[in-house]
Amino acid sequence: MGVSSNWWGRQRNRQLTLIVCFLLPSLIIFFLYRLLPLGWNVILSFQSWSPLRPAEWIGFEHYAEMWEYDDVFWIALKNTLIFIAASPLAIAAALGVALLVNSDLKGASVYRTIVFLSYPLMAIAVGIIWRWMYDERGGIINYALRSSGLIDKPIGFLQDFDWALPSVIFAEVWQILGFYMIILLTGLQSIPQNLYEAARIDGAPAWARFWRITLPMLRPSLFLCVVVGILNSFSSFDLVYIMTNGGPGHATELLITHIYKAGFVQTKFDYAAALTVVQFALLVGLTFVANKAAGGNAGAVERD
Amino acid sequence: MASKGKTATLLGLRHLTLMVIAFIMLVPFYWVIKTAITNENIYAYPPRLLPQNPHLFNFVDVWYLIPFPRYLLNSIIVSTIAVIGNVVFNAMAGYALTRQFAGRNMVLALFLSCMLIPFQATIIPAYLITAKLGLLNTYVGLALPMLSTIVCIFVFKAAFEAVPRSLIDAARLDGLSEWRIILRVLMPLSKPAIATNVILTFIWSWNNFLWPLLITRDPLMQTLPLGLARFLSYMEDTTGALYAFAVMVLAPSILVFLMAQKEFIRGLTSGATKG
Amino acid sequence: MNHWWTSRWFIVPALMLVSVLGWLGYVSQHDNGLIEGRVIDAGGQPVPGATIRIFDRGFVTYQERGRTQADAQGRFRITDNKSHSVQLEAETEALGRSERYELRLWFAAQDAQLPEPLRFKAKP
Repeated sequence: MGVSSNWWGRQRNRQLTLIVCFLLPSLIIFFLYRLLPLGWNVILSFQSWSPLRPAEWIGFEHYAEMWEYDDVFWIALKNTLIFIAASPLAIAAALGVALLVNSDLKGASVYRTIVFLSYPLMAIAVGIIWRWMYDERGGIINYALRSSGLIDKPIGFLQDFDWALPSVIFAEVWQILGFYMIILLTGLQSIPQNLYEAARIDGAPAWARFWRITLPMLRPSLFLCVVVGILNSFSSFDLVYIMTNGGPGHATELLITHIYKAGFVQTKFDYAAALTVVQFALLVGLTFVANKAAGGNAGAVERD
Repeated sequence: MASKGKTATLLGLRHLTLMVIAFIMLVPFYWVIKTAITNENIYAYPPRLLPQNPHLFNFVDVWYLIPFPRYLLNSIIVSTIAVIGNVVFNAMAGYALTRQFAGRNMVLALFLSCMLIPFQATIIPAYLITAKLGLLNTYVGLALPMLSTIVCIFVFKAAFEAVPRSLIDAARLDGLSEWRIILRVLMPLSKPAIATNVILTFIWSWNNFLWPLLITRDPLMQTLPLGLARFLSYMEDTTGALYAFAVMVLAPSILVFLMAQKEFIRGLTSGATKG
Repeated sequence: MNHWWTSRWFIVPALMLVSVLGWLGYVSQHDNGLIEGRVIDAGGQPVPGATIRIFDRGFVTYQERGRTQADAQGRFRITDNKSHSVQLEAETEALGRSERYELRLWFAAQDAQLPEPLRFKAKP
């Protein structure tokens, strides 16, 4: 009896060790590059630190500086919010495309591939392409506008204070549209058809079917798209960096580019950490709000 | 019969709208390819819609005048390290998550919460950590943050759970060790999961710009996105060389994407946000 | 039939590998750096003894890399070209300089023959 219980105990220990070993590499990576940075950002934001001096605790000074003196922070915050606010429009457009493509339409898969093609591309290359398209002399957008008579002088899309941010946002939407479309398409295809059948039998018109069946059943997918749209304001660093680098004069400065410049161009790591904490708090806050708007529980739908 | 006409018009309208959308999505590709193969001053107004005297020599120039082969090599090496590490680590973690053990729920919650932390929110400490590890400006340092993604762990977990228990039990009865079970039984049956993991990691590491921007010091260690961005500030000349560079950089991504579309989409829809 | 060699994961890389190897083979056969051409004047007559200068392409400008002489029939041969994009120019005392001819190659040191002769503008 004693021997076999020992053996089981050893087996279970061995299994546990094995499981821990298997989990370890991934856990180390996530600890080093996700969790630790999160905590370190918070700590760093309360310190005054540079690579040459030891750290000093200064409390909320960085945040106070951000609030009162850093005009660029407020501009970047505003731009980031505008950026995020553009995503519902993009999601609606993607929903339209998904609805059009969601059928056994001849060539539907070709259309899907074409729309989705822009997503796996390098953002730097996309930025260069759009920069060229917006060019005043060689760009096709100005050429099309001028030759169709809509304008007579070229618009410097990326040089104009008012046009720069919308231009960058348009390029970003061009790239992310396919992604939203795929998510929504998957959501659309998981809606059971019998719901539509029942509604049709009951005589519900098409728009009512859309509002009462399609949209509610799409809540998880829509929530996911909204979260990705919020995260995109972080990951659009590449696009903004190559198209305008925050210019002209901070008109396209996003929080993430401001963080990069503060941290790696001015080497004010501690201040940049404070900025990162603020941005992350914004991200979590907005996601929370979106969750509430989607009805809680990430928009998951109760099925009867 | 009136309804038949109406359906036909609707169908035609659908096709028309889709074609307009497809056109808008494809115009940037056409414009950049056309610029890359033109032989004239690309800044001349009005720009021609069709290239006059197209030639492919801009691509040859890009190959020799800038370290394109070096950047390509760097990108390939970093992506290879990332893909291999990713598949191995994620498979291991995915397998571990299929077993019941104390603290499993905590680990699951931990992984899920990591999904909400975007890479860009970690850049400063990530840089400092990598510097402390002495891995700045190295291939391993470039690949390190990408060596595990949560989405792919769950993809593997789902794939492993779909394997019938009888097979695993039979293998255990045969006395195979856990490693052997993974390698001989589970992995061959999870080929779609492996393909998904490979394609997701490849695309993410290939396109990664911010991390190499922070980590590389030596111009020779730069990857393709970085090389492309550097080239932009070098050469604002009147030929299409920059756009030939962009086309050469995009071609592998497009090729890989077209080859592995299904797996890529599957990986995205099973968890979406970039790990 | 689902053999592993009919899957796209094998066919596409295999095709790419074959094309790359084929290309490298072709390049290795033809990369002797040989450039041949003729020089004629504005009247179409060959210009014997003209000095041919070859310019290599740098990043933005072209640098002179070497010279050679045209023979009695106005033909010349350059054997040590290492670049992928060169310019050629002929010069004589009497006629001054010819136009600059741009020759772009598919790979560095590709063997090439000028499709048209180098032309002097001035008449003798």
